[in-house]
Amino acid sequence: MSREVVAMILAGGRGTRLEALTAKVAKPAVYFGGKYRIIDFPLSNCANSGIDIVGVLTQYESVLLGSYVGSGIKWGLDGTNSSAAILPARERGEVGATWYEGTADAIYQNISFLDQYDPEYVLILSGDHIYKMDYALMLEAHKARAADCTIAVLNVSLEEASRFGIMNAHKDGTIYEFEEKPAKPKSTLASMGIYIFTYQELKKYLIEDAKDENSKHDFGMNIIPNMLNDHKKLYAYEFDGYWKDVGTVDSLWQANMDLLADKELDLYNLKKDWKIYTSDTTSHPQIIGSEGKVTNSMVTQGCIVDGEVSGSVLFDSVHIGVGAKVVDSVLMPGVLIEEGAEVYKAIVDEGVVVEANSVINKEAKKVELVSVNK
Amino acid sequence: MAKVIGLVNLHSDIDFKGLTERRPVASVSFLGRYGVIDFVLSNLSNSNIDNVGVLIKEKPRSLFKHMGLGNSWNFNSKSGGISLLYNERYANNPHYNHDINNMIENIAFLEKSKADYVVIAPEHIITTMNYQDVIEEHEKTGAEITMVYQHIKNADQSFIGEHCLDIKSKRVVEVKENKGNRKERNISLDTYVINLKTLMKLLTKAQNISAFFNLSDTLAYLCDEREIMAYEYKGYARCLNSIEAYHKYSLEFLDLDIFSQVFKSNWPIYTNTNDTPPSKYKKNAQVKKSFIANGTIVDGTVEESIIGRNVEIGKGAVVKNCILLSGCKVSAGSHLENVILDKEARVEKHKELIGDKDSPLYVKEGDVV
Repeated sequence: MSREVVAMILAGGRGTRLEALTAKVAKPAVYFGGKYRIIDFPLSNCANSGIDIVGVLTQYESVLLGSYVGSGIKWGLDGTNSSAAILPARERGEVGATWYEGTADAIYQNISFLDQYDPEYVLILSGDHIYKMDYALMLEAHKARAADCTIAVLNVSLEEASRFGIMNAHKDGTIYEFEEKPAKPKSTLASMGIYIFTYQELKKYLIEDAKDENSKHDFGMNIIPNMLNDHKKLYAYEFDGYWKDVGTVDSLWQANMDLLADKELDLYNLKKDWKIYTSDTTSHPQIIGSEGKVTNSMVTQGCIVDGEVSGSVLFDSVHIGVGAKVVDSVLMPGVLIEEGAEVYKAIVDEGVVVEANSVINKEAKKVELVSVNK
Repeated sequence: MAKVIGLVNLHSDIDFKGLTERRPVASVSFLGRYGVIDFVLSNLSNSNIDNVGVLIKEKPRSLFKHMGLGNSWNFNSKSGGISLLYNERYANNPHYNHDINNMIENIAFLEKSKADYVVIAPEHIITTMNYQDVIEEHEKTGAEITMVYQHIKNADQSFIGEHCLDIKSKRVVEVKENKGNRKERNISLDTYVINLKTLMKLLTKAQNISAFFNLSDTLAYLCDEREIMAYEYKGYARCLNSIEAYHKYSLEFLDLDIFSQVFKSNWPIYTNTNDTPPSKYKKNAQVKKSFIANGTIVDGTVEESIIGRNVEIGKGAVVKNCILLSGCKVSAGSHLENVILDKEARVEKHKELIGDKDSPLYVKEGDVV
């Protein structure tokens, strides 16, 4: 059955700048926001945008990510006409075992997957960004302009611009140049790594790119510049909501703090528009004990809080002992803060036990990562 | 291994006043994130029984929604499943709308199951019973019918109006009503293991005795002529047979000794889930000794209360000894004590709501007060 659009989520990256957090899991599977994994965001966006077929391309530590995504039931993608398919780098008949050599190569290696749905458009997404976005609106814009490629961009500050891939575009949104991390940016339109391609065009470029031995097989470095050289129709689609690349320990911590500060990312769906779906556990309701005090924080089910928590995000089944103090921190599932211990400005990785009366990062100058994998 | 199916029996006369005006006891919210029925369903699931029928008495809408395909309780295997058994014909006829008639109406479920034994348990008695233990005893004694009871020493205060048993050498010899006039009683937990073939015969037999007889009436009638074994269950058991009991036993869970009798790592309580975000505690939050479900935003004081999903408690509001069901809003500065707010109720104008500890004030679903 042919589809108008198929989404492909690039989820193979390790995310080395997340240090110990990605020692055993792929970056898209890293925990975020008290009960989510990062990949919940693009997957929920797909579900909410009415996209039925989602391919998830995996490579680094693909087992946990694969079993997490599963059939896509958590995002309602397991119907008769819908599917979430895990597409790992793998041994293939014609070429044997290969890795994904770049973002474009990853899609190239799955052309046969795409062909079976005969899509008109392909939506390329990154598995490691936090944002809520209606891809259907972006697709409408792509169709209205009969574009070959539409790239979602975020208007960043001039100082930030040199950290991103920058799209130089005319007033009508037509992109004429792409610069990767320019020292002197000409524009502040940063690529969000979200592309809609007209599939048959993309397919041609992927096949050509695969033959090019000098190519890095990357969308930003190769496919987009090649299309610009050929004067294909590339448009920038400006997004003005909350978007964060949580690629470092600092930015992951900051994005969690943003949730507490009621920034634009509205997890509480107060506008009733856009839920983020995730895996629910069977843990009990969260319990705040007689000695507990919780302010400016997010706490999820399974937690038992008998100490003092402020400015922090607590994941499933975190236990805070009597007299313990947790400030400006992110505590991942199953963390145990024993009696009288103190934790400041830290990300505490899954399952860590902070022993009674110990003190972590009291000076709180920078974010400290506490992990058994470190 | 013997094949076992489960039947959750929702046929009872219990109501929780306003809470059960439009829903059965089974789907009344419990402890913030569960439905009352989740406990018996989890017991079945944890006892490795995955073919389950629910004998529905009335008001099934919210229950249909709650149950879905049964995946939340692991009933979605190819060999198992959840069957919602409803007796349309007698839905509006109280004397005939009983469990025996429901089973007769839905006899296909029993016939097709090819089970050896049927576990029958009610939703309103909360336990963490492992039915495999009962079945083991049932097989050992060679009984065709086993009744589960609990020996209690406060029968003058709890399980009043429920059945109690006289037991001689592990056999039930008489079934009576617990009138609350004695402290020690063997209380029937309305939970049975019955051989399927025996159950099928009982259905016919019951009709021959009285068309109004339900299963427990029938067993009570037959206990002096049939061998009914008694099995003693010693774990946690509470009977939610009134809104007062519901309020009392809900808040009793805030005592961690009680809590840990039910929430054990080897005995998960399953429920269907809603993708609600974690709860948010704002600057003025002062929460003590309370259960908070996900999706709630608190900026006031909450003490000894149970708060459901997606509740908003405004700045400086005070909530004590309350049960707030999902989606409620308590506006800033309100003061609530001993109150049950049904789903999506909003406290806006009438800012002081004080109920009695033994008789909580109830606000209907969706009402603005």
